[in-house]
Amino acid sequence: MKRTIRERILNPKPNSKVAAAIEFGIDLTLLIRLIDLTPQERLQELQSTMRSFDMLREEAKKSRMKLYGRA
Amino acid sequence: MVELETAIKSLAENQVDFVIIGGVAFNLHSSAYVTYDFDFCYKRTRENLKKIVSALLLFKPKPRDFPKHLPYFFDETTLLNATNFTFQTEIGDIDLLGEVAGIGDYDSVENESVIMELFGFDVRVLSLEGLIKSKRSAGRTKDLLVLPELEALKELLEEEE
Repeated sequence: MKRTIRERILNPKPNSKVAAAIEFGIDLTLLIRLIDLTPQERLQELQSTMRSFDMLREEAKKSRMKLYGRA
Repeated sequence: MVELETAIKSLAENQVDFVIIGGVAFNLHSSAYVTYDFDFCYKRTRENLKKIVSALLLFKPKPRDFPKHLPYFFDETTLLNATNFTFQTEIGDIDLLGEVAGIGDYDSVENESVIMELFGFDVRVLSLEGLIKSKRSAGRTKDLLVLPELEALKELLEEEE
């Protein structure tokens, strides 16, 4: 029976590239949802992640200014 | 941060011959890799360079290492004088590459690309196999670190069990 991508990530075949990536330390479970999106949706998700990181950086900068007097 | 939709639409509307490479291409193939710039490989014909200028001039590109107080002229001649550029623009960091490590010039990169529909345009994106080839060839630590994920993705998307 054909295994889904989710099953292949959660229970990879020994010696497969999927098994090697997991062994290397990569969290492939993040891909389960991304694979189901369209390319444009993936791009929009990347843009949203960039925005979130930008906001976090700004907040961290403000905190450093308060704590140390410099960014 | 780069405004991806604005950059891609502007290139496509100006009919630039380009192929998306780098971190954005990883993402388009479902990678969870996070990047902050937009890299593309471009065809180095005069006609295409003119189109690139039309597409990007509005966003005031300047090399990222260029002194802030000096004027920079972004035109066809500028693009003729070098092959690769790392620009800071009003819509974020955009890198233009005339060649890609392990693959070659634009025509070779185009041969290794796939077409994806983005914002109503058919846009060329370097294939997973092409990305793997280029990262393996570049061989820097940062390139080698992304290989296991790209190879796993290729296996997941291409092979059926």
